[in-house]
Amino acid sequence: MDRIVFESVRKVFRHRPALFNWLGREQGGETVALQDVSFSAAGGEVLVLLGPNGSGKTTALRLISTLLLPDAGSVRVGGFDAWHDAGEVRRQVGIAVATERSFFPRLSARENLEFFAALDEVSRPARTQRIDQVLQDTGLEEKAHTLVMKFSSGMYQRLGIARALVKRPSVLLLDEPTRSLDAATTAHFWATIRALAGQQTTVLLATHNFAEAVAVADRLLLLHRGELLANRPLGTSESAEALRDFYFSMTGAKEFVIGNLQ
Amino acid sequence: MLEITNYKFEIANSLDKLRAILWRDLLTAIRHRSGFIVTLVGVFTELAAFYFLSRAIGPGFRPDGVGYFPFLLVGTGVYTFFLMSAQAFLSAVQEAQQTGTLEVLMTTSTAPAELVILSSISAFAGNLVNLLIYLFAGVAVFRAAIHANFLACVAVLIFSLAIALSLGIAAATLQVAFQKGSALLWLLGSGLWFLSGTMFPIQTLPRPLELLARAIPLTYAVDGMRQALLDGHSVQDMAPTLAALAAFGLVLLPLAIAGLSLSLRRARQHGTLSFY
Repeated sequence: MDRIVFESVRKVFRHRPALFNWLGREQGGETVALQDVSFSAAGGEVLVLLGPNGSGKTTALRLISTLLLPDAGSVRVGGFDAWHDAGEVRRQVGIAVATERSFFPRLSARENLEFFAALDEVSRPARTQRIDQVLQDTGLEEKAHTLVMKFSSGMYQRLGIARALVKRPSVLLLDEPTRSLDAATTAHFWATIRALAGQQTTVLLATHNFAEAVAVADRLLLLHRGELLANRPLGTSESAEALRDFYFSMTGAKEFVIGNLQ
Repeated sequence: MLEITNYKFEIANSLDKLRAILWRDLLTAIRHRSGFIVTLVGVFTELAAFYFLSRAIGPGFRPDGVGYFPFLLVGTGVYTFFLMSAQAFLSAVQEAQQTGTLEVLMTTSTAPAELVILSSISAFAGNLVNLLIYLFAGVAVFRAAIHANFLACVAVLIFSLAIALSLGIAAATLQVAFQKGSALLWLLGSGLWFLSGTMFPIQTLPRPLELLARAIPLTYAVDGMRQALLDGHSVQDMAPTLAALAAFGLVLLPLAIAGLSLSLRRARQHGTLSFY
């Protein structure tokens, strides 16, 4: 059975102008974040959502984590519907968000992880060992007792990943996970992701970085303006080079970069 | 048998989560040393102001048959406990929205309603300590005359908690739904301060306002605490007041929880969970 099933999902954000709109130029309207998107992911698969800014990657992750509800279609995780069985879905999903300040600043890294582990119903006997493990996996052992208000953005990023891993989710969602990581930590992180996939964890990663996507993905989902343009496995018939050209041609990213350089 | 085991497991889980939340809040509070000192200074300044106000008015003014300073001490203590509890609740939601922790908390295995209720218990514990410090300082330092029935005091407090909880959840609901929890609290705070008998007996209000005051749950909490702490009324003597508090709690708490669940669902539909 597929671990994640996204079926004809549509998500629209509606904007209302401010009450006294004549003071500004804000316009009402709507943004179609996802338009009839369908895909699925099996246990142990690493899926990369690739697309430029505003393509709907983060919206897809937020729908799977139950932070958002779809306007149409369905999202199922482990057989549970994200709308009707949100609690069961949350038990299976770990999400590493890119928000750097999503921690309690006057608690240490370990104290933050202990707090979230309790809310994620990790049993007390298992908690210490798991936290030690994720601190080691993310290279934060030496900073375990430092208040997180003193952390750099890269350390926050690593702690966000550690928090998502503590509950040992069957589905791991990562939003631009290596954005603030150095090269060595990134390489170590990819190895951790591959190891998790080897243990049957489904990993869904959102990025706009093509090189990052190719480095870790089993399959690429190319999103652009809320539409799924391609759903292709890597390492089979098409080379990474061909996929890269396809990505740039579909999203216009190359032209944008070249235009800026000129 | 299986159901009982599941039930025990759920309770153990909830207690573990409550312990984690209390520990988080305690660590945060003690690492904010200046905040604790400012609170203490604020308590003593307010009590001193009430003490000298009651002296200026003179001993002839005895609302409900008690001295004006003890009357003010209990009225403002209970009022502040209610408002600060709701405020703590609202602040927790606002702070979580501003820092980004709200969304992360909402992705944990803990149901949002359970999370909100457990967080509120922690906020109430902190405000209960503040209330006890306030009353203790009023009695020990400013010599407020009391004649307490402690069992009745505890009963009033317990029956009032559901109402304070409802008020806090309502403020959090409006914050999630319209990002306007502070405005509601300001409006409620002013209205309750005026109408609940905090500063003067409600019998001195015009008849329509007095009737309105009697429809406010805080009026019964303030009155009940005065009866228990200043007049030494027993639980049996206070049965009507306790029954009124219980009735308010039974109606308001489920309504508040339902409202919060609805506002959270609406925020998930519209993607506004972290808006503030």
